[in-house]
Formats: sequence, structure tokens, C-alpha cells
Amino acid sequence: MNKSNKKYSRELAEHFFRTEYGKIVSVITRYIGVNNVETAEDIVQETLLKAVDFWQQNGVPENPQAWLYTTAKNITLNILKRKKLQTRHHSEFHRNTIELEQLQFSNEIILDEQLKMMFTCCHPSISENSQIALILKILCGFSISEIANAFFTSNETINKRLVRGRKQLRDNKVSFEIPKEINEHLAIVQKTIYLLFNEGYSPTQKNELIRLDLCLEAMRLAKILITNESIEEKTNCYALLALMQFNASRFKARLNTDNSIVEMKNQDRIKWDKDLINSGTLNLNQAMKSNQISIYLILATISANHCIAKSFGDTNWSAILSLYDNLLELEDSPTIRLNRAVALSKAKGNKKAIAELKSIELNSDIGEHPMFHATLAEFFKEEHKFVKTIEHLKKAISLTKNKRDLKLLEKKLIAVVPIS
Amino acid sequence: MKEFMLFIRSEEKPKANLSPEQLQQHIEKVGGFIKRLTDEGRMKSAQPLEMEGRILSYQNGKIVDGPYNETKEVISGYYHLLAKDLEEAIEITKEDPRFEEGIWRVEVRPVKIVEGIN
Repeated sequence: MNKSNKKYSRELAEHFFRTEYGKIVSVITRYIGVNNVETAEDIVQETLLKAVDFWQQNGVPENPQAWLYTTAKNITLNILKRKKLQTRHHSEFHRNTIELEQLQFSNEIILDEQLKMMFTCCHPSISENSQIALILKILCGFSISEIANAFFTSNETINKRLVRGRKQLRDNKVSFEIPKEINEHLAIVQKTIYLLFNEGYSPTQKNELIRLDLCLEAMRLAKILITNESIEEKTNCYALLALMQFNASRFKARLNTDNSIVEMKNQDRIKWDKDLINSGTLNLNQAMKSNQISIYLILATISANHCIAKSFGDTNWSAILSLYDNLLELEDSPTIRLNRAVALSKAKGNKKAIAELKSIELNSDIGEHPMFHATLAEFFKEEHKFVKTIEHLKKAISLTKNKRDLKLLEKKLIAVVPIS
Repeated sequence: MKEFMLFIRSEEKPKANLSPEQLQQHIEKVGGFIKRLTDEGRMKSAQPLEMEGRILSYQNGKIVDGPYNETKEVISGYYHLLAKDLEEAIEITKEDPRFEEGIWRVEVRPVKIVEGIN
């Protein structure tokens, strides 16, 4: 195996283990209790280490998953029998031990327990930061430093969030189950999944593989919501998944080799993933089943309109504009209006878009925002009003705090400054 | 580890392969659906107001990022925002008169909040 193949295989293996990690931790937590979730994680770490050792010596077993689950189960039974855990009721452990001994792992059980873990990690008593950290650590098998990387912070900070989150679970006596008021909790789970996805989608992420993994994990978690029977109202779950699939479909075309962003008009659409676009469309269809609309549905449809356009010029901008108008009915905000202005400029002309941005600026403090000026600069550029373009690009540059954004804006500025 | 790799790679493929025309049709259909519901002013919701999510892309002077394609990809890719704690944002929303009974309700709230950028 040459060097790059080896690296690819290792990454695939890490990915596999990462996913299985979350599944097994969830199942084991069911038997040893939320109070002992850290022990569940330790058990799974030990299992995976054993797997690497054993499989390298003896080859990969016929059913790798089953091998992992059986090993984890046996380690857990040992621990239960030796009563080394924080216990609330002795009888509870006794019962759990018997059930675990007889447990046959099935896809259904694994899905169910992961769903419970999602609700547990997203319990409303836990702060948002801790929710995301818990999900990434427990369900998605990310290491602390990978999570720290994803959120531009230190290992200590992430560790604190995990510790706090676990403490909140204990203090609030959160039990491992699907909550009765499922809809409120579901909204938090969905938001967390989407925040996860956004982190992966964010081009400021250093490690490309972590970014892709974050997006894939978010989509995997959304699929758990969809396949589970305990959730009756799935409309928003389908819409959320569709949104992520449409956005992810453009993933490979969005990045240059030097990790800079390729704007949509320059993206090579051949690289857009047709399978994801297909899947997104099917899920979008499913999201129409009830008489409800959500921001996810509208954003997904906007993204879909980009995805099905043969070229940037062929994009159905009036459809997108109309969708933004619908979105404004749900919420009228400067951020939405700013994004809508781009569609407006394409559908109705730059002058109208410029006027719209001027009016948003008067009514809010979005003028403090670099993106506002970058957008305005783009409209002026299309109108060949280069003095204004330069003015607003410079303003955007002065307001930007992010190195990558800065690089991109400076590149744009150089492109319009006349050569003296 | 070869079989192992094959095992990992077998992921589910979508059940149907839609043609460009079919894709177009589907997307237009959803667009029409959204427009109809918005126009009719009807958003049936089973939950009481307090339980629903909110869209927070702008609250009382704090601009919060959102998952919008246009400024993220069409213009110049992306931007990060300094934003406040989500819990505080929720408290502010509860005071907002727009979210009283009978006004448009939003089912879910995707909000991207990022810690202070170094």
C-alpha cells in the first residue's frame, strides 16, 4: 500500500471506530446509567484498543461490529458484577446485569439508545456549549483536542464543558429515556445537530477531514431522528436533513487546494455530489407531509435551487428571492435581508439591491458588519462604480477580525484598484 | 484490513436517481408549498408557544450568524460573528412582542453561535 492509501485507510478506520464509539457508549449507558457515562466511555475506549491489537494480529473478524459489541458487553458485565459503579439502587444493577447478559445487539436497539443519548446530551438543563461538546465526545467519538480544534479553543475549556455537562446530568437526575414532551427537546437536538453541521461547513476549520466528519456526523444523527419510531412529527427532521445534504453536496467544490474558498459562481459544478442532491430532494418531499413550514424547510429549498442550477447564470434567482420573502414572513431580520439582497440583485438588479441595503443600514447596526460592506461592494462593482467598491471593501477589511476573510477581501481589493 | 475497508465503504445509496427535470419539478413543488402556506397565513402547530424554537438572527443589537447561503457562498464565502450566549438570547426573545400568541411561529431555530474568535 503506498503512502496515501495507507493514510486513507487509517482515516477510514478512524471514522469507523468513531461512529461505532457513539453507538456502543449509548447502549452501555442504558445498562449502567447516565451517572456512569464516563465509565461507559472508558469501556468503549478499552474495547477499541483491544480491537486494534487483536485485529492486527489475527485479521479483521467476519463481523467487526459484532466483535466490538460482544467485547464491550463482556467488559461491562465484569464491571457490573464487581459492583464498581456509582449505584442508586442495587436491584437496578442486578436487573440490568441480567438483561445485558441476554442482550442481542440489533440495529433497532442501537438506534434507540443513540436517540436517547441525543436527548440526554441535549437536555435543557445543560448549557449549549456543553451540549455540543457532549454530543461530539459521546455520540460522535471525537477526541477532546479535535473538539477544541473545531471550536477554536483549548483542551481545558472543552474538558471543563464536558465535566460541567456531566455534572448537570447527575445533578438534574436526567434519566436515559426518550422525553415525554418530545417536541421541545427535539428542537434543541435539531439545533445542536445543525450547529455541528455549521462547524463542519465552516471554512475556517483547519483540518479538512475533521470538517467533513462533522458534516457527516451531523447528517448521521439527523438520520437517526428520522428512522426512529418514537418521533411522530418528523417534518422538521426531514427538512433539516435535506438542508444539510444540499449544502454538503457542494462541499468538494467549495475549497481550493490552499484551503481558500471558491465562490459559488466559480465552483466546478461537476464536483457537486449528485447522490446528496438526490437524497436531499427526496427528503424535501417528505418534509411537505404536514401543514407546517420551518426555517429549515425554506433554507433547504433555497439551497436546493442553487444545487439544481446548471450554472451560476442559470440559477433561478426569482425563486430564491421569493423564498427569502417567505422567510421574512417568519422572521424579519437584517441578516436575512442582507442575504435576500443578493437574490434581489440578481433577480431585480443591483440598484434595487443597493437601495435595500442602504435602508437596512439605516434601521439597524448591520453597518458594523464586514459582510454588509463586502456585499455592497460587490453590487457597486457590478455597476462599475469602482470608487464606491473600493470604499466598501476597505470598510469591510477594517471591520474584519478573521484572517481568512481578510485574505479574501484583500484579494478582491487588489482586483479593483487601478494599476498606477 | 482490506475487508474492513470494504465494510466501511458500503454506505447506502439513494433509492432513486432523479433526472434534472424531476429534480426541478420537485424543488418547484416545494417552493409552491412554502408560498401557499405563507400566503394563507397558516402554520398549524401542535405545541404551545413556550416550547417552540425561535429564529434568532438579530436580537436587540446583537447580530447572530445564520446558515444562509448567499453571503456564505455567493458573495465571499463566509463570515464569523461574535455572539452572545444562547441562553441570554432566549431570554431576550421571550420579551419580544413579536412572539405573542397568534403571530407567526417558527418551528425550529438554527442558530450558529461561535465563541470569541482568537
